Amino acid sequence: MTYQSQRISHWYFKAALLLFALQVVLGLWLAINYSYTLPQSIVNVFSFATARAIHTNLLVLWMLLGFMGGTYYIVPEETQSEIYSPAIAWFQLIALVVTGVVAIVGFVFGWTQGRPLLEIPRPLDAVVVIGALLFLFNVGMTMFKANRWTVVQGTLLGGLLFLALLYLFGIPFYKNVVIDWYYWWWVIHLWVEGAWELVTGAILAFILIKTTGVDRHVVEKWLYVEIGLFLFTGIVGTGHHYYWIGAPKYWLWFGGIFSALEPLPILLMMIDTIMHVKKRKLEIKNPFTFTLAVGCAVLHMIGAGVLGLLHTLPQINYYTHGSQVTVAHGHLAFYGAYALLNFLVFYYAMPKLKGIEVYNDTKGKIAFWTMSSAMSLMAVTFGIAGVVQSYVERMLGMGYMTAQHYMRLWFEVTLVLGIFFFIGMLFMVYDLFTLKPAKVKK
Amino acid sequence: MTKKVALWIFLVGTISSSALFLWLTWDTHRQVEFLANVDKLSDDVVAGKRVFEKYNCNDCHTILGFGAYYAPDMTKVVKRIGVDGIRYRVKSPEKAFANSSRKMPQQNLTDDEIEKLIAFFTWVGEIDNNDWPPQDSAKRLTRSEEVMVASAGLSPGAAVYQRRGCMNCHSLQGKGGSVGPALDKVGKRLKQAEIRRYIRDPKAVNAKAIMPAQKDLSNKELDEVARFLANLK
Repeated sequence: MTYQSQRISHWYFKAALLLFALQVVLGLWLAINYSYTLPQSIVNVFSFATARAIHTNLLVLWMLLGFMGGTYYIVPEETQSEIYSPAIAWFQLIALVVTGVVAIVGFVFGWTQGRPLLEIPRPLDAVVVIGALLFLFNVGMTMFKANRWTVVQGTLLGGLLFLALLYLFGIPFYKNVVIDWYYWWWVIHLWVEGAWELVTGAILAFILIKTTGVDRHVVEKWLYVEIGLFLFTGIVGTGHHYYWIGAPKYWLWFGGIFSALEPLPILLMMIDTIMHVKKRKLEIKNPFTFTLAVGCAVLHMIGAGVLGLLHTLPQINYYTHGSQVTVAHGHLAFYGAYALLNFLVFYYAMPKLKGIEVYNDTKGKIAFWTMSSAMSLMAVTFGIAGVVQSYVERMLGMGYMTAQHYMRLWFEVTLVLGIFFFIGMLFMVYDLFTLKPAKVKK
Repeated sequence: MTKKVALWIFLVGTISSSALFLWLTWDTHRQVEFLANVDKLSDDVVAGKRVFEKYNCNDCHTILGFGAYYAPDMTKVVKRIGVDGIRYRVKSPEKAFANSSRKMPQQNLTDDEIEKLIAFFTWVGEIDNNDWPPQDSAKRLTRSEEVMVASAGLSPGAAVYQRRGCMNCHSLQGKGGSVGPALDKVGKRLKQAEIRRYIRDPKAVNAKAIMPAQKDLSNKELDEVARFLANLK
């Protein structure tokens, strides 16, 4: 850490970690809902719907906090200047966390927009938009004042702008449910397969440049190609969500073809991450940081690339759409692409913010391997449940609950895996809050 | 490859995809007018959508396949369980799902809200969405007779029972829904002809019945499923 204003990012990371812990707890509760029969009295007061709204909104909130914290850490080093206004950064952190907490408490009392993942009520959306504008203003001003442009910065700012812009499409009330879903995906799909990929690409490139010592030009050249491919395949690839919503038939073609190409940039990102790590010029100080970088690249590829590709073609998606197959893909994709990226940022930046050059990574390793194994196996159990559902409910035409009975075993296994994930999460959160320097080997 | 070439790859990729996407968006808006019967999108339908959102239905159920996967899809719900079936479940979930391993919360909707919700579901059910979901597909149902013929040597009635979604509400040996009674011993209570008459028009036999009339079944299918059920003793 070389700039004073980078310190703010530490608080973003801490807030993100606590919200992540809460998200995992809610995840366990959802798995219990699937595995056991809850009495009507509990369902009436705290329904699955409420718990799910909290689980998914916490996901979005903690990841955005992680991205913002990451941005506030990276931008001073890239621009070689202090952040334009640390006061704005503080205000914006408090505003976002307070909005999140109010929203979550509101869900419990039925205050909701009622649209999956976008449940935050419209008045609170206004606060989110103001916070996002302040954030962009702050980051943008820092970059413009410094006027030392790099591809990493440009990609980061572009991704964040795109991210904020897309959020606006999720705010209005649409009378027509077809149009509603059409624009809902502008937020959800174009976030995770567009804007967030830009942010990820930029952050990953930054950390690789800093830790491997590979020439900036080489890393940035590949960054251009990757984000170009991400946007080329990802934008029209949104069409794979438009097969069954009442949109024109040509989306089966456009969505199918473009989304079949979507794994390419992820594959490229995986290969070049591994290549950069192999060809590193600097001595490895913290090998665990590399484990996280490569783990992120590989599980990003499996979760988002492979599991996405498996059911993206209309012929398959006809049977798997809206089944637990989607859940398998969603969990491993978010974990591989974005949770691990955030963990990478935490383990890269938090030791530096504490002035630790080489950190003790024992607990971190336990946490990484426990969480990654548990989540990978959860993708398998959800996947099996999804295939059973697709076959029994969709192909044989048996009732929804009949299919659910056959799937129940796999939900129970998922619950056990969730407990392992929870334990791994505790290790990581505890570790990051109490980082210590590694003992010098004699 | 130089950095300049890489920049061009980025620019061309992004701009071409964006342009194509925006053009398709414009065209989709144009076509949705017909595909989604926008002329039938009445105030009641819009009010029903607001009810659907107010009670956060979509965080358990899917509609058009989107939402949470904890409860059945709502796209063709009117066709599947009928408007009476919807009224009963929403009004008294504690009764409708008393024996189910998964419960639905009692959210105390007013009668007016329920009617608006039904208007919304009715409109959604008529959207031309490439025949999804498969379990409610009209093509699949006409195929059910083929299956019945194919499995004639075993039990054509059982095939009808399975294909026509009887187990969405009823159960056999604990497998199936719990909205209607279990049918394991129905043959003890009712004769084949009585079962046949009941399935065709439940209200004609019992005015308080909540089971929707099965008008889609052919006479042949009806005979076979009634014979199958009458033999369950």
